[in-house]
Amino acid sequence: MREEYKLLLPAVCVLAFLVAAPTFYLFYTSFLRWFLRDPTGPTFAGVENYVKLLQSSDFAISLTVTLIFSAASVTFSLLLGLGLALLFSEDLRGKRIMRTIIVLPIVLPPVVVGFTWKFLLSSEVGVIGAYFMRLIGLGNLSLLGDPTLALVSVIIADIWGKTPLPFLIFLAGLAGIPSIYYESAKIDGAGSWQIFRSITLPNMKKPIVVAAILRTIDAFNSFDVIFVMTKGGPGMATHTLPMLGWKVGFYYFDVGTASAIGVILLLIVMFLSMPLIRSISR
Amino acid sequence: MLGTVGGLVGGLAIGAAVGWLAKPEAAVRTVTQIVGEPGRTITTTVTQAAPTVERTVTQYVTAPPREKAKINVIAFAQGFAWPELFGPDGTTETDLLKRFEASENVDVTIEWGDEWAVREKVAADVTAQVGKYDIVLVGSDGAVQAYGYAGYLEPLDEYFKKYPQDYFDPNDVYPSFLDANRIEGTLYALPYYSFGPGVIYRRDLFEKYGAELPKDNWTTNDLEIAMEKILEGLRRDGITDVYPLTMRAGPGEEPTLDLAGFIYAYAGYPAWFEGGAIWPGEIRNKKAKPIFDSSDFEAGFRAFTDWAKKFGPPGISTHTWVDMMNTYAVGKAAILMPSAINGYAALGITQDENVKKYTRFMLTPFGPGKKRINSYWTFSLGINKFSKNKEAAWRVLTYLTGRKSMEAFAERTGWPNVTMRSVLYSYPLIKKYGIEEIEHNERSVLENPAIYFPYIPELDLFMDKIGTTASEVVAGAKTVEVALSELQKWATDLMTSRGYYT
Repeated sequence: MREEYKLLLPAVCVLAFLVAAPTFYLFYTSFLRWFLRDPTGPTFAGVENYVKLLQSSDFAISLTVTLIFSAASVTFSLLLGLGLALLFSEDLRGKRIMRTIIVLPIVLPPVVVGFTWKFLLSSEVGVIGAYFMRLIGLGNLSLLGDPTLALVSVIIADIWGKTPLPFLIFLAGLAGIPSIYYESAKIDGAGSWQIFRSITLPNMKKPIVVAAILRTIDAFNSFDVIFVMTKGGPGMATHTLPMLGWKVGFYYFDVGTASAIGVILLLIVMFLSMPLIRSISR
Repeated sequence: MLGTVGGLVGGLAIGAAVGWLAKPEAAVRTVTQIVGEPGRTITTTVTQAAPTVERTVTQYVTAPPREKAKINVIAFAQGFAWPELFGPDGTTETDLLKRFEASENVDVTIEWGDEWAVREKVAADVTAQVGKYDIVLVGSDGAVQAYGYAGYLEPLDEYFKKYPQDYFDPNDVYPSFLDANRIEGTLYALPYYSFGPGVIYRRDLFEKYGAELPKDNWTTNDLEIAMEKILEGLRRDGITDVYPLTMRAGPGEEPTLDLAGFIYAYAGYPAWFEGGAIWPGEIRNKKAKPIFDSSDFEAGFRAFTDWAKKFGPPGISTHTWVDMMNTYAVGKAAILMPSAINGYAALGITQDENVKKYTRFMLTPFGPGKKRINSYWTFSLGINKFSKNKEAAWRVLTYLTGRKSMEAFAERTGWPNVTMRSVLYSYPLIKKYGIEEIEHNERSVLENPAIYFPYIPELDLFMDKIGTTASEVVAGAKTVEVALSELQKWATDLMTSRGYYT
């Protein structure tokens, strides 16, 4: 065996045990008709679980909500993270303290983030949801009770909690751009927008793609914040695919269908991530 | 002198000798005890003075098992359930627990978790048939049905006869609380704290806005008129953050316990399946299809969702029992119904003087179906079919759900949501609420059946789907017609896939 493969062997074994084996098991159980509380046990069902899902309105709604939630959360957290990184890469007074404050949300457990925003936005007792909304004459609107506003609310909570990650990646990326590029551009008379478009953005391509991949995976798997804030409600307005998977698996105890949801989620994330990964590998 | 002393000593010696020679012979009494079943004989030898009587006494005694049994319990509500045994943190072994353990020769350990985690652990344990938990928490809104039908819980009726105990007297428990844990007559769990339906209301707000006070034989029409008056009055006073009604309409199973009570009251029967079928066998034999798009089901569904939208707070479509309780506790609702236990919980936490002073309880109103709006739930515990210490588990179970535990619950919480008549009519509760309110609480349990929705293994799926559908309607995401049409299709597909109509 070639030397490099021998060196890789221990890592491959660990990955096989921790990642590959559970993934294969997930695929396997997705083809079973298996209700955990049914004493008759699992039986082979072929693609029945997938067909049932594709025909299910709950799945369609959850997938739509997931796509909207992820697209909005990823886009705005990247834009906000980039903007903050650009701002705090300048020589500003107090930037160290500000950077620390900006990064704080990422150390909070998602459940805490969810509860914080739930109480802030509560239309009965929340500072924003009750008092501020009444102050501006919108007291009859409920930020968590209205389907559209509830989705916006969970997106905002997710952006708030997850923006620090792209911010840190972009900050590191900006620090890696040689300052001589900017000096030369200024000497040549380039404006801020030209500098940003021609120097900053091209040099930030890899950090942006990395941040986008990580945020996309995270957004598609987002569960805790939404569960705590709205439990997927009102109705199914914030009901994402991970929430559907959890409900089907751990509430209905339908292992086969829950596994099928897991497989579909995995395939979607892979489908979205692969082109991005390839773009930075070239 | 010497002669006198010598005479005394001699006399004592002779007396002692005579006494020693004439002492009565020690008698032996044998007592034979037969302990437990099957019999195990213990022979006890007792020595007693004459007159000698030899007797053999045979006693049948149910004694603790010889080997100390380790009993594992899993439950939620750490610190709330049984703090007299497990401490306010749920992890302390109190003196009371130690005494119980010593008396029954058991070692009780309890594992806590939040409700979802406990459900998952129970499911994993019973389906894997491990028997890690001897006593499992099950609710009467899905778990009793699912596990009872699957054969994962021990039927308990025989245990009362085989293993008599003094902790839990089934004759003292309100029948409906036991019925809630029966499947087609067989008892599968015993209830700890439990509730029936009721209306908790603010008398001051009713009087202030000229709404007729709740009364014994009032109807849903009367209640709606009262809520209209209160709403009108509040808005006239410019009060926009107090509402006539607080209920729970969040997605998932929570609203369904109450919503099902509306359906029952409006239709006059559990209008989920054709003919009001509620047992799996009945549904199969009659091929009873779901009737969620029928006028019978729609009437109660529409009433619930309309009231929530019109009279409830704006966020009601995401409200759980906690939000319902908090809304009432902070004085932002005139009425809390029909799961009145949440109103009593609100009373326990409120800082609002008006809430404390003016809160009252009344039976729920009659719907057009001539039945009261219903709501029942029991925090129940059952014995795992795969437990290796079932007899010992039975003793622990009856203690945890027995009279002493109920008395401790009532005294600690001050809630009248107890299972036993003797505890409901105990001094602490009568002193707190007055005899009239206690009688109303009793009537709410006696006059309303615990089974007002189908008792089928798929119940928790229905609970979740119906509750989520209601939440969608309350949030304005769907109309009642569209929602019920989709619900009907979902239910029919589910029951068909589970083989009910083949």
